[in-house]
Amino acid sequence: MKPLQRKYEALKKILQEAYLGKENAEVGEQWQLHVMRRIRNLGPVQSGPSFFMLFEQFVWRLTPATCLLIIVGAIIFLKLGFFPDYDVLTLFINNAEELSLAQLF
Amino acid sequence: MRNQLTKPSDAEIIRRIIDGDANSFEHLLKRYQDYVLRIVTKHIPYNEVEEMAQEVFVRTYQALPGFKQEGSFRQWLSAIAVRTCYDFWRKRYRSRELPMSDLTDSHQSWLENTLSNQSDKSFHEKGREKEARELLDWALSKLSARDRMVIELVYLEGLSVKEAAGLLGWSVSNVKVRSFRSRKKLETLLKGVISA
Repeated sequence: MKPLQRKYEALKKILQEAYLGKENAEVGEQWQLHVMRRIRNLGPVQSGPSFFMLFEQFVWRLTPATCLLIIVGAIIFLKLGFFPDYDVLTLFINNAEELSLAQLF
Repeated sequence: MRNQLTKPSDAEIIRRIIDGDANSFEHLLKRYQDYVLRIVTKHIPYNEVEEMAQEVFVRTYQALPGFKQEGSFRQWLSAIAVRTCYDFWRKRYRSRELPMSDLTDSHQSWLENTLSNQSDKSFHEKGREKEARELLDWALSKLSARDRMVIELVYLEGLSVKEAAGLLGWSVSNVKVRSFRSRKKLETLLKGVISA
């Protein structure tokens, strides 16, 4: 084994010992009281699914229907020819005498 | 009479809490306080341990309705504790509040002495562990929060990849890959210190 690798292995062992040898932190009764105060402030736990969980479930369930609606809407728009700029220009060309640009805006 | 003397089981306490008796949580708190503190102390700096251990119990309380009785409560609690520690480091790394001090000459001389004289006595002498921990903290602060947790669980605590994956809630392959990479990073860092 190379000297560097040997030194590294030794250091690794030392660091592992240092990590595992950390003294356990101790807490007093005040700490317990503080935790329980926080718990009581939270109130009773919810046993059923929360509003957000239900909402999330419904959102995902509605995703295919929403996608379908968007596709159908896009097809309808394309079929009907909903091009406002084109329509205004056509109107202006056909009725140039009655319709001036000033009226348009 | 005998039933009154026996302590309620975890399942019984959990049922009471879910039924609305928040005070019953005190039983779980007293029963698992030392266990949670042991986990948190390993991963978090001493001055933050109390706060983080509190956070673990608050999260546990809030997550109790989702606890599946088939598994052990102790194991479930340890996963919450480890994930809370991981979140702590993620926040720390994001806000760049890490102590990024470089190694001092005393660390360097300690390292040389320790590596040239590797008896147990020299390591356990007063102050030796402190310097070893400082060196370890320095090396871990150079890694990401994810790498740090994997190194601590797999490399330093000696848990299996599967156990670490269960605690962190990651896939086994993710932990395996990350464990390999983070070990290489740590090795490069420490070899750099040794050869300096």
